[in-house]
Amino acid sequence: MSPLPEYGNRRVIKPIAGRNCDDPKIDYKDPVYLTKFLNPQASIFSRKRTGFCTQCQRELKLAIKRSRHLGLMPFFG
Amino acid sequence: MFLLNNQAVRTDWASAKSAVTDLLHKHGAKVLTARRWDERQLAYKIRGCLRATFLLVHYEHQGPGVATVRRDLDIEERILRYLILKVETIPAGEMEASQAELEAGFTVPVPPRDDEVVLTPIEPPKMDDEVEDVVDMVAEVEA
Repeated sequence: MSPLPEYGNRRVIKPIAGRNCDDPKIDYKDPVYLTKFLNPQASIFSRKRTGFCTQCQRELKLAIKRSRHLGLMPFFG
Repeated sequence: MFLLNNQAVRTDWASAKSAVTDLLHKHGAKVLTARRWDERQLAYKIRGCLRATFLLVHYEHQGPGVATVRRDLDIEERILRYLILKVETIPAGEMEASQAELEAGFTVPVPPRDDEVVLTPIEPPKMDDEVEDVVDMVAEVEA
């Protein structure tokens, strides 16, 4: 019988980019920066993956959606 | 932010820009800044266009609302899409950039065609000294 897996062996996903909340607001006119937070299917990474706080993640979501509306970023990859 | 049809921009930039500013004036808005932000390829087709020119406008509007402005913007053919946002202050440098566009010597580059593919040269990957040595050794052995 195989031993049970240890809880400490769970794979840890490293956040993409740390961001201070004091940094300038995330801009919808900067698709190069925003693209870092999309997966190949162009969906937004979760907070766990981006490493953002709640407010920054909301700003990111809003900026990406505005950028998509203007055709700067794709809706799907 | 307004997306302008490149066909209108090719014909005359001033008239394409005035399509937005005149419409805003018509609804009682005061245009503070209006400048060409960029000309870019779009991520998807908008009204059959793959490229568009972006016009960034800051204006004051104290009317009943933006519903009537939106209605007219939807009808205007030269405007592919728009995004109206509320901002507290005008970002630094916007006024200067807008004034620079109003000066006599300002010219707008002719936008490329929709089907024109703009290729950017790919730089070869940089090799470390050790890798270069190995490549040289392999070349010597093969010779």
